[in-house]
Amino acid sequence: MIAPSPGAAELSALLARAADGDRQAFGIFYQRTSAKLFGIILRILIERTEAEDVLQEVYVTIWRKAAEFDSTRASPVTWTATIARNRAIDRLRARGSRPSAPLEEAAEVRDHSPSADVIIDGNREAAHLNAALATLEPRHAAAIRSCYFEGITYETLAAREGVPVGTLKSWVRRGLMRMKTDLSTVHEGRTA
Amino acid sequence: MTAREDMDGMTVDEVLAMDFALGALDRNERRAVDLRLRSDPAFSAIVDAWTTRLSPLEDATAGVVPSADIWSAIEAEIAPAPRRPATAPDAAKPSLWNSLMLWRVASVAAVAAALIAVAQVGPAPPPAPGAPPQLLVAALAGADGRPLLSAAYDPLRGAVVLTPATQRQDDGKSAELWVIEGKNPPRSLGVIDIKDPSKHVIASDQLKGLEAGATLAISIEPYGGSPTGQPTGPVVATGTLRAI
Repeated sequence: MIAPSPGAAELSALLARAADGDRQAFGIFYQRTSAKLFGIILRILIERTEAEDVLQEVYVTIWRKAAEFDSTRASPVTWTATIARNRAIDRLRARGSRPSAPLEEAAEVRDHSPSADVIIDGNREAAHLNAALATLEPRHAAAIRSCYFEGITYETLAAREGVPVGTLKSWVRRGLMRMKTDLSTVHEGRTA
Repeated sequence: MTAREDMDGMTVDEVLAMDFALGALDRNERRAVDLRLRSDPAFSAIVDAWTTRLSPLEDATAGVVPSADIWSAIEAEIAPAPRRPATAPDAAKPSLWNSLMLWRVASVAAVAAALIAVAQVGPAPPPAPGAPPQLLVAALAGADGRPLLSAAYDPLRGAVVLTPATQRQDDGKSAELWVIEGKNPPRSLGVIDIKDPSKHVIASDQLKGLEAGATLAISIEPYGGSPTGQPTGPVVATGTLRAI
């Protein structure tokens, strides 16, 4: 479905070498990917020291699981980003609560709308996804982005938004199903 | 599982997969999903689809360069323990290996592989003097090269951990784990009980001397395991143990 980019092919090759125990290749893989993964983890955990701790765990996990990576099923970026996201969210859940960031930082953290240049420069998949999100009620789209980017539970977000949990779940789930339909239409349109 | 929730015709699984990929579940719910992902390929596929669908959102995430010392910490963690004296190189595979290749037939897709099997086997054999025990791992792949599961043997804990399984079980058959060391005939490490993998216990004397270079293999046997003590059915996955 998603054509592998030259970057993805190179990263896949580095992962394959890491699976054979090549630490140097894994070092290059780290150089290419660590800023991205750290950005993802930091956005969820906010605290830098804890985020670095999780980043370290994530790369040790990637190293140990490198042989399981299957480039026909996921891009190396998606595969590693998913490991990073899940580790960060698990850490957040174990901690119980998210640190409250200072106000100005919080405003920055909560603004998940993509900037114009991201839409222009971002890849086609991201553009389709953002277009699908843009057709939703702004508040519903914002709820989807908050859950995804901050890794917070429906309960936490519902409390923050001052709406019942059931209402919030319904916004998000219906929104996601509509996005799914939109996206499959886009993909069918492209392959037709 | 095609039970439907009363909302917009979405199945319960679709909703759960979506919630998990979005990252909105609480701790207990996430734990339950984690477990299910290891044992339910169909559900796993729905989660993968949602993960992939949402992943372009990450394009909006700005990279942040971590401190320079993080890589050194990772490097230290993945550094190999001091090498043991020569393990058999892959190129010189014993003839037994070749005969194994012969009876490796198998429609991989049709057969089982193990889930997580953690075998606690009591005190581990003492490591060779001066050589800290190494964690041994093997990626077991089918004939098409597709990884089926990985096995890890930790001499310190005396445990073998098998993760994860991808295939459904062939009813009435058993999956049996073997180790092939040098020119010796395959040695059974027991039947892997897919329904309840935690039951899979490997006696510590069976694990004694397990070294890098040995081959692990999984064959599909009649229910209860090989009747002859040697593999009789198709080998669905093989891999070489290596030290990490």
